Amino acid sequence: MLLAALVLVPFLGSLLAAVMPADARNRESWLAIAVAAGGLLMAGSLYPDVAAGQVLREELAWLPAQGLYFVLRVDGLAWVFTMLVLAIGLLVVVYARYYMSPADPVPRFFAFLLAFMGSMLGVVLSGNLVQLVVFWELTSLTSFLLIGYWHHRADARRGARMAFTVTATGGLCLLAGVLVLGNIVGSYDLDVVLAAGERVRADELYLPALVLIALGALTKSAQFPFHFWLPHAMAAPTPVSSYLHSATMVKAGVFLLVRLWPALAGTPEWTWIIGGAGVCTLMIGAFIAIFQHDLKGLLAYSTISHLGLITTLIGIGTPLAIVAAIFHILNHATFKASLFMAAGIIDHETGTRDMRVLGGLRHALPVTATLAIVASAAMAGVPLLNGFLSKEMFFAETLLVGGDTNWWMSYAALAMGVFGVAYSLRFISIFFGAPSEALPRAPHEPPRWMRSPVELLVLTCLVVGVLPGLSIEPILHVAAVATLGPAMPEYDLAVWHGFNIPLLMSTLALAGGVLLYGLLRRYLQLKERDTVPLVHRLNGAQIYENTMLRLTRGAGWLLKHLGTLRLQPQLLLLMLALLGVPLLLAGAPPAWSDSPRQGFDPLFTAIWVIGGGCAIAAAWVAKYHRLAALALVGGTGVVTAATFLWLSAPDLALTQLMVETVTTVLLLLGLRWLPPRIKAGAGQPAPGRLAWLRRSRDLLVATAGGLAMAALTYAVLVHPASDTIADFFLQNALTGGGGSNVVNVLLVDFRSFDTLGEITVLAIVALTVYALLRRFRPAPESVAIPAQQRHDVDPASAQTPAEQAGSGYLLVAGIYLRLLLPFMGVVAVYFFMRGHNLPGGGFVAGLIFSVAILVQYMLAGTVWVESHLQLRPHRWLGFGLVLACATGLGAWLFGHPFLTTHTAHVDWPLVGELHLPSAFVFDLGVFVVVVGTTMLMLVALAHQSLRAHRLPGDEAARAAPPVSGRRTL
Amino acid sequence: MNFVIPDFYPAAAELFVVAMSFVVLMTGTFLQNSRSLSYYLTQFTLLGAAVVTVYTMDGQVTLTFTNMYVDDLMGDFLKLMVYLSVAVVLLYSRSYIGDRRIESTEYYMLVIYATLGMMVMIAANHFLTLYLGLELLSLSLYALVATQRDSARATEAAMKYFVLGALASGLLLYGMSMLYGATGSLELSRIAQAIYHQGGDKTVLMFGLVFVVAGLAFKLGVVPFHMWIPDVYQGAPTSVTLLIASAPKLAAFGMAMRLLVNGLFELADQWQSMLMFLAVLSIALGNIAAIAQPNLKRMLGYSGISHMGFMLLGLVSGVVEGDRHFALNAYSSAMFYVFSYVLMTLAAFGVLLVLSRAGFDAETLEDLKGLNKRSSWFAGMMAIVMFSMAGIPFFIGFYAKFSVLLAVVASGYKWLAVFAVMMSLIGAFYYLRVVKVMFFDEPQDSSPIATPATMRVALSLNALAIAALGLLPGWVMWICDQSMLQSF
Repeated sequence: MLLAALVLVPFLGSLLAAVMPADARNRESWLAIAVAAGGLLMAGSLYPDVAAGQVLREELAWLPAQGLYFVLRVDGLAWVFTMLVLAIGLLVVVYARYYMSPADPVPRFFAFLLAFMGSMLGVVLSGNLVQLVVFWELTSLTSFLLIGYWHHRADARRGARMAFTVTATGGLCLLAGVLVLGNIVGSYDLDVVLAAGERVRADELYLPALVLIALGALTKSAQFPFHFWLPHAMAAPTPVSSYLHSATMVKAGVFLLVRLWPALAGTPEWTWIIGGAGVCTLMIGAFIAIFQHDLKGLLAYSTISHLGLITTLIGIGTPLAIVAAIFHILNHATFKASLFMAAGIIDHETGTRDMRVLGGLRHALPVTATLAIVASAAMAGVPLLNGFLSKEMFFAETLLVGGDTNWWMSYAALAMGVFGVAYSLRFISIFFGAPSEALPRAPHEPPRWMRSPVELLVLTCLVVGVLPGLSIEPILHVAAVATLGPAMPEYDLAVWHGFNIPLLMSTLALAGGVLLYGLLRRYLQLKERDTVPLVHRLNGAQIYENTMLRLTRGAGWLLKHLGTLRLQPQLLLLMLALLGVPLLLAGAPPAWSDSPRQGFDPLFTAIWVIGGGCAIAAAWVAKYHRLAALALVGGTGVVTAATFLWLSAPDLALTQLMVETVTTVLLLLGLRWLPPRIKAGAGQPAPGRLAWLRRSRDLLVATAGGLAMAALTYAVLVHPASDTIADFFLQNALTGGGGSNVVNVLLVDFRSFDTLGEITVLAIVALTVYALLRRFRPAPESVAIPAQQRHDVDPASAQTPAEQAGSGYLLVAGIYLRLLLPFMGVVAVYFFMRGHNLPGGGFVAGLIFSVAILVQYMLAGTVWVESHLQLRPHRWLGFGLVLACATGLGAWLFGHPFLTTHTAHVDWPLVGELHLPSAFVFDLGVFVVVVGTTMLMLVALAHQSLRAHRLPGDEAARAAPPVSGRRTL
Repeated sequence: MNFVIPDFYPAAAELFVVAMSFVVLMTGTFLQNSRSLSYYLTQFTLLGAAVVTVYTMDGQVTLTFTNMYVDDLMGDFLKLMVYLSVAVVLLYSRSYIGDRRIESTEYYMLVIYATLGMMVMIAANHFLTLYLGLELLSLSLYALVATQRDSARATEAAMKYFVLGALASGLLLYGMSMLYGATGSLELSRIAQAIYHQGGDKTVLMFGLVFVVAGLAFKLGVVPFHMWIPDVYQGAPTSVTLLIASAPKLAAFGMAMRLLVNGLFELADQWQSMLMFLAVLSIALGNIAAIAQPNLKRMLGYSGISHMGFMLLGLVSGVVEGDRHFALNAYSSAMFYVFSYVLMTLAAFGVLLVLSRAGFDAETLEDLKGLNKRSSWFAGMMAIVMFSMAGIPFFIGFYAKFSVLLAVVASGYKWLAVFAVMMSLIGAFYYLRVVKVMFFDEPQDSSPIATPATMRVALSLNALAIAALGLLPGWVMWICDQSMLQSF
């Protein structure tokens, strides 16, 4: 559990730090120091095992179903990095205690810092690639929080956002890469992946995996072309810059590359991608660093350049290059962390980091100046310091990789060395010369403990530089063996190797750097210059901002041109998709000659031509003449009914006919209350060619849709039918249900429970319509008397509907229908009675009866009808339901299940034997409910006109004569 | 044809909800000022349903009502999640709907019926049951969107939702009728058998499948059936948007599993390719369009489109060239995705509801500006949600994306996984913009945030759950795995 504790303790510390009060600066730092020191002890205790070449593993179940285990694993490389993270962490925490101002919200700072430490340890110790990515993203997140720590500052916000976007993006690429890699290997376990190098390199997905993983590593390590985020991240407090952005987090990228070296390296792709990025970065970084005015800016670009150096070494990829890379990672962490801390001290003491202002600091800060000068000498690669050793190795490697002919990499390395010396000189220059007058604050040496981390680090630089064999060699060996395994090369970490080309290159670099610096100072006005020569156009930050802006604008543009807020195009698109997609999926249609056919019948065709004509015409006039459209829709209904009749389904035909009639009439009544069509005013352009095109298109789509539906229906119809339950009903209707009309027996006997449900729904719908219309107030524009009735010459315009019924132009029709009422009643009874054996039944009869009353309303007007007829639709509804239920319950009395039918045969005088099943009573219930429903809806609609006519004041008196006995519904 | 009294036990939770809906209706009708009572009764209904569901859960697949209805572990867990999310929705929206005077017994009734509809959808083993549940849910939602009758935008949204929804229902029904024509059954398991034995000509089946998938895609809100989402999300009152955005996704997932896996598994190759097409389009469009949205509700709508697309990726990677042993992992990852998406959506809209007050709806990015200054706690919660939605590790959203990606990679569609990751990158951009606005911009109005304590606590728990489950995703994953294992 030691490894788990190692990762967990910083997170616990972070939680603890977060809840401490804001002014507990000392307690916070002690906590952080304790965490780092404790971690260092724990990690240190692992050294014997690690040095013996063991790999320690700890496993916890994480997502076992997905085959994922939380694996912590430490080998030499991981151990060295762990020590690096913890040791620098400890120093940074001590330093931060003095650096942070009491006014800053310290708990937040330490909480984030410890969380970062934990996540970084997680990255280093992960034995599972996915888990590594998780911690990787967590380091991005904590880095984001730490850069944005002073979130009142605009540069901090911008820097934080940029750093996060770039590194988190890279992290997601890494995730994709790891998924691909894991898929190639068949496991995400690091040990398995590392052992599968041959297989990975041979796989066809090697390149995608490599590119994605490289994207992750290069963004994290600020490599060209993603280097731009690092200088902006300098807005973070200096301890953060020193810890995250030079010593540890930016090293995660190169760490990962070293880690995966056994699995991925050794191909030309690896060298080109990694090495190419590294070479570009080391040149550009070193060059730009010379022209910075901000101390931390200079260090940031120098960091970029050194990371480029490490990346180049990894890209070269020979075992010796890997040793050099690991060595330089350690060296760079030491001298750069100390330089950042020194820069922080200078900033802290003088109040500025601007090198144009700073000068002569060696007088005020003699100790700090000495330390910084030594550290920057290590950065420049001066002999007897650690930077020199690894740079030497780097030069040697560049020579080796090119062989005897290809020297370009050596030139690049030399150029980088020259630039490195130049910017180191630039950094040192602030300590020399006359003391500056323009400093915001008078500098003093910092508190002893603030300086001590720097002292310690610089001491390390010296010790490693002078006695590499004794100090760093065993550690480096542990790390290199873990990575390289059997490929471990022979190498010698000595200060003096005799005269050779690398030494010559170092000397040239030193001399050239001094010369370059002198030249630049004299001729290029280094101090006044605001832009970097040659590459100032290469502004990554600008590109980043532009990309973000373009992304937003581009998305807006896409949405504007491809999306729509209007319903009609949306529907059109859907319809087109549905017309097109199935055609793509389905194969060729069956040959026409194979399909079964019916004989051609001119009469039947004629009926359908009428029906089709009605449908098209209805669509045509729907917008302009609702009444006509409604009538035409009715026509299609009638044709449908006729078709049913033609195909020997009289029951269906009858029902269809009645339903058609009733709905048409109800719609007709409702039509009255629709708002008038908006007329094309003067402001609107007359419908032109475009409208015509649009309508033609719609017509085409509609026709295609209709044809497609027809084709599909046809396809289903000719599809071999499976067993249906129809046979059962056909066989049992007479014997079981006592009726020969199967449909009716089905409704009132076999499936009578369903019918009971249906009529209940009908009743509910009727009540709902009534409830909704009771409070309905028509729109003001549709309240007025219809234009037809407003004609002054028409005597009917002065009459109330009741008067019209007695003398108006509807007189003849009205009387006819009044006379027809009893006949229609008889017809209804007839259909009802014969329902059990012949087409008819409660439903149809109910509709017929309703129509009989409906037409009375239409022709004689509401007032007249209601003054002569006492209709109480509510009671009809209730009575019908009670009747139906009572029939069902009756069966219970005789010990049968609910709604069991009993058929009685009664001998009536005159009529003869009457077949009287109990289903008959049930059917009566249906009849009554249907009548009640239709009437209730009708009445609710009809009363609208009464109410509406009452609204305009002057007509009110005439339009609504006091009608005695009329119930206000 | 003997009539057998069906086994009501597996449907006990549904029956309980039905019974309670009558109680709520009656109290609402006969008691004056019963809104508070209705609220508590509704919450009690959900709690009771959860108790009943847990009590009747036995891990078996039980069919009842002549095989129209199925009760299995997946259904139980989905239902439990539905209760939870609806309860949370009600809790979050209480003060919002109170301020806007749309709190009424009818509101709660519609929510109960929507819940019931979802339960029926989840438990359906028959086209008719499925359709019944779907319509019950949809009709309740249409009405809820239009609750705010004075708002022109809400009315427009309701109208669009209704028209497009009716079209989608029609498509689904049409597809079902074709499948019926081809197989002779409406019962899902019988359909599966029929297809298995049939072989040969599949033209009608294919057409049916296309229409069924279209109807399903509409419910899930994936491209090209997504058009209603942004309009409805924006137009509806935030409380209703929250409801639409959360629980129905669970039901739609349940429906997808029933239809496609229970019923049409034999056609997996075909529907997988269709769904893959839909998923790719949705992920692309959802993420890109979300960037251009200054309105948060709309943005979350588009983000939901992309999330549902991502979830579909799980469904498309179940069967590889006839090999079915990936199916379990793939489907359970999709289920995990839906779970986590619902959790995140609840919290995201919850924050918007917290920020809204009488006469003011928080719905644009502007309204979130400087939230950190007004309430750093809520800003932190929202940041958690946004990070999680962006798929940043140690939040549940990461594991959701990750497990789906694992399934996709395992099934061999590596390009699909890479594409999905790239699109999530674009997605991360707009989520992070929200974080930036909250933490880095100056607040436009600095009025303090007044929230009832219950809501404060619930929202915090919700966001913390996103973080906590991110640390320990194992047991949610276990639930999803078990559901799939026991149910299919």
